[in-house]
Amino acid sequence: MDYLSLNRISKSFGKEKLLDEVTLGVAQGENLVIFGPSGGGKTVLLRMIAGVETVTQGSIEVGGRDITFDPPEARGIGVALQNFALFPHMTAFDNIAAPLAARKKSQSEITDAVQKIAKLLKIAQVLHHFPKQLSNGQKQRTALARALVARPPLLLLDDPLRNVDAKLRFEMRLELPRLLREAGATVIYVTQDYREALALGDRIAILMGGKLLQIGTPRDIYEQPASIKVAQLFGDPTINIFDVTQAVRENGQDVHLTLGGGVIPLAGATAKAVRQAAHAGKKLWLGIRPEAIDFVWPGEGPGQGTGEGSGQGPGQGTNQIAHKNAVVIAAKLEAVNPLNERHVSFLTTQEGHDILCSRPADEGGDPNQLAEAAKGQVKLQFSPDKILVFGGDDGEIMAHHDDAAARDATGDATGGATRDAAMVTA
Amino acid sequence: MGGGAILRYSLHRLAILLVVVFFLFPIFWIALMSLQTNESILRIPPSMVFTPIFDNYQALITGKLITQAGSLDLPFMKNLFNSFFLSAASVAVALILGVPAAYAFARFKFRLGENIAFTLLSFRFAPPLLVLLPLSLIYQTIGLDNSYVGLIWVYQLICLPLILWVVRSYFEDISPEIEHAYRIAGHNWGQSFLRIAIPLARPGIAAAGLLAFIFAWNNFVFALILASADKQPVTVGALAFVTASGIQYGQIAAAIILSILPTLLLALYAQRYLVEGLSLGAVKG
Amino acid sequence: MTDTVLQLANVNKYFGGSKAPMLHAVRDVSLDIKSGEIIALLGSSGCGKTTTLRMIAGFEQVSSGRIDLGGRAIHDQPPGKRGVAMAFEGYSLYPPLTVRENIGFALKSSRLVKSQQQQQIDDIAHLLEIQAIMGRYPSSISAGQQQRVSLGRALIRRAAVTLLDEPMGQLEPQLRAVLRGRLKKYLREHGMTTVLVTHDQTEANALADRIAVMEGGVIHQFASPAELKHRPATRFVAGFIGEPPMTLFNAEFAPTHSAPGQFAASQGQTGRAGGNGCDIILTDSEKKIRFAATGLSDAVTQRLLALGTATIGIRPHDVRLSQVPGPGPGSEQGENSAAEFPLTAAITANQWLGDQTHLALSLDGLPLVAVVHRPFHQAVGARISLSLAADKLHIFDLATERAVLHHGVWVS
Repeated sequence: MDYLSLNRISKSFGKEKLLDEVTLGVAQGENLVIFGPSGGGKTVLLRMIAGVETVTQGSIEVGGRDITFDPPEARGIGVALQNFALFPHMTAFDNIAAPLAARKKSQSEITDAVQKIAKLLKIAQVLHHFPKQLSNGQKQRTALARALVARPPLLLLDDPLRNVDAKLRFEMRLELPRLLREAGATVIYVTQDYREALALGDRIAILMGGKLLQIGTPRDIYEQPASIKVAQLFGDPTINIFDVTQAVRENGQDVHLTLGGGVIPLAGATAKAVRQAAHAGKKLWLGIRPEAIDFVWPGEGPGQGTGEGSGQGPGQGTNQIAHKNAVVIAAKLEAVNPLNERHVSFLTTQEGHDILCSRPADEGGDPNQLAEAAKGQVKLQFSPDKILVFGGDDGEIMAHHDDAAARDATGDATGGATRDAAMVTA
Repeated sequence: MGGGAILRYSLHRLAILLVVVFFLFPIFWIALMSLQTNESILRIPPSMVFTPIFDNYQALITGKLITQAGSLDLPFMKNLFNSFFLSAASVAVALILGVPAAYAFARFKFRLGENIAFTLLSFRFAPPLLVLLPLSLIYQTIGLDNSYVGLIWVYQLICLPLILWVVRSYFEDISPEIEHAYRIAGHNWGQSFLRIAIPLARPGIAAAGLLAFIFAWNNFVFALILASADKQPVTVGALAFVTASGIQYGQIAAAIILSILPTLLLALYAQRYLVEGLSLGAVKG
Repeated sequence: MTDTVLQLANVNKYFGGSKAPMLHAVRDVSLDIKSGEIIALLGSSGCGKTTTLRMIAGFEQVSSGRIDLGGRAIHDQPPGKRGVAMAFEGYSLYPPLTVRENIGFALKSSRLVKSQQQQQIDDIAHLLEIQAIMGRYPSSISAGQQQRVSLGRALIRRAAVTLLDEPMGQLEPQLRAVLRGRLKKYLREHGMTTVLVTHDQTEANALADRIAVMEGGVIHQFASPAELKHRPATRFVAGFIGEPPMTLFNAEFAPTHSAPGQFAASQGQTGRAGGNGCDIILTDSEKKIRFAATGLSDAVTQRLLALGTATIGIRPHDVRLSQVPGPGPGSEQGENSAAEFPLTAAITANQWLGDQTHLALSLDGLPLVAVVHRPFHQAVGARISLSLAADKLHIFDLATERAVLHHGVWVS
């Protein structure tokens, strides 16, 4: 039984439809991240749950009770809004105490609860300050404390880290799971940063253009995005997408794609779907994430992986290529840019496709030296497991691969840890 | 700082000084006049050298005006009280009615909302004299002429639109998110209005209240037609200084000084709230 | 230097009078910016970066010091005469002009023929992806679009110096990532000397040749992104730079007295068996955490012992983790594991981000952040072994907060 359920929620302003029949269930204790580009309807949805925006159509139930038409003060929901929305004429203490004061708690109870949450959020020393005397980080923590202090069973967080600087964002992202765990609430977290979505969500709901495009675990969504649009929301640099409409080759039962002189075999449901799509004259795209591509380093054929030997210990080289069957393609190296402890290489294939390849800076070697030795021409390798095939005008995924079990066996449980964390929360 | 900078700095200061003198000189001159007799005021050429006397103030406060033609009763203090009472009561009524209305216009979009707000503003468009004749006839019929209630009611034409429009824009500047946050915390909209919206709009309310008070204080025509001697404010009462034996410049000057005082004190008091608005600073976020 | 275009020399800014200033916003800032160079002023809000930029633009008076542009003192000149272009954080577009007219405004006085002007405007529109809104008015476009128009208006002038104040703060992350690359390419192609103000180090790293890290009105370090990362000059820079930044601890250095077996083994690996070792003791936790400083030269070890106490920092990518806590089956480290990974920590957060995993760890209550380039299969609450290799540490003097050691090399 879902704790929060949204039943075909729509929101229109005049003729403009901001949300279009969104149906969503959130289990008790779950952290659900709503993620998507701005203007996708995330904030409106959150505000409707909070009760500060009317619902055009559909209903909202919390704990089995229909709250669609309840005023915000009757819902007992904790909310932290994007711009903090602190009361400028009240001290941090009074800001945090507001939900308790509304619940007619005694002065001593209020003081105790505020002190406790302030200590947890490390703002105990600034409780007597007014909002304008607080740094952005302190404002953000005060807003969070106000949302948490009355221990609401449902907590809505609207991009709470958006207006704080990078350093604090890292700190808070790592700290938030602990805080949310201690709050014991069901959490809906809105963000437009894919890292926050992956890091904090038990599940992620992708909201774009007012429609719910996909909902699933971080791993599902990252590895099995429902469409190109969803796939491109994740990753920095984002996923490589190649038009392969003309690159499908059939040989009896065998279906494969060609790219940069390499052959990418397709299997199972994907092969079947691609064959059908090709016959129907549909467009086809190949997607592969930059970190799933590696160079073929000298002294090793495609038969030797590069992910190992980096001192991380055995059994965890999950980005390593499944080297036995690796696809090898040729490309020309155009540029290498450092990006946060990684090298991002920009390459082009003989067909003129741009490829981005992202490797840890401390593994393998220097792509520039590799390219110099080979006059700019290098070889890339990747596992055929890692490819995604999209088809049709909307770029829908052709078929979900069915090898998740196999990857679990090789220890590639991406997102497994996050799931485990979720279990602790529950 | 180089020589050029010093010159620039001095010119800057000089310019400010000239502006200050230009604006304050009339008040300064009136203050001097209030301490002189009519004869010394009308000296040719005028001089700043004289022996200060307090006869003018004494006459106003005791209500006995001694002229060459004889003694005259002057209800100046009564007038001053009337001015104060009428202005204060009008502003109070206008605030009680206008602030919630301004909030409603700022926050809620309702049918005819803009039309009603504009109609209220349009009361300021018509020349008061145009309204006065029918109004005085109606007042006589319903017995409101020459009463404080009637005057305060008419003064709403001055105060209410001002407060409504000024305070409304202040309410519109407060982010609704802040009120939303307060409601989500568990307070109803009435509490949110009283504890969030009003305190945050206080500088605007103070400014509008002060302006309304000054406009009410300076009103002349409404009181001239609708009030008789015992309800007259100073603006009307000042006519008494034009006596048979000439214009009493000294007393007029003293009366001006005395009648400036209440508004001045009020402005100084309200300034605290006006400045608070500047230093609070964070109303929008 | 001959190719210095913009030079700031001991620039100070006081707010509220220089005798008893309410705020000393910018303190003795000196910068030399070369022709065609892109530099960033990076810091949190209130660090003085925007004030510095506004002094270059001429919107703030310099309290003391001088600013030269192309060898000419400009700090006493009005903004219009300085030959600088600026994109404002608050957009400040001309409301009665369309987007196209706003961008083209600066070209009006140029001697370019109409068609060339249009070509340049179209190039800028293409660069910033605002072709679709060129005919609209500023009031009818979104904040992010307004910001791009403001940026376009500054770029098209190709002034002697282009000043960008948080040029992409309002944009969505995806668009920001795309525009960063294009903006850098444009600035490079036209050899535009640029000063960028930002609080986002990703942006600074991606765009700037050199970054001035500011805090409290002071420039802590002015260096290349790589230098800032590998050789942070001060404790502040160390704690600020990096995604995520390094973890800092207060520590003591003490001689390895009893030389337990496990340390001997690890010292053996570094070829200094039996030498006078040094232990690092983390002093912030209730239980003092002690481990051997391995991989350092004797000279460095002696200097650390002489120093006694310091702040030590380690980059999240340099924390070495053993997957399996302690020796056990499936671990190649086997018996050596305790030597190689002498510390244990509990996982407090494990966040997979697609191409990397961020781990928050608790070393007996001390927070430590580690990053690995792959998923990491340990649940929150699990304990893992790890090591903080001394030759990966950054060490800062406790009193001056300046760096004394990077990666085993003493800072001269």
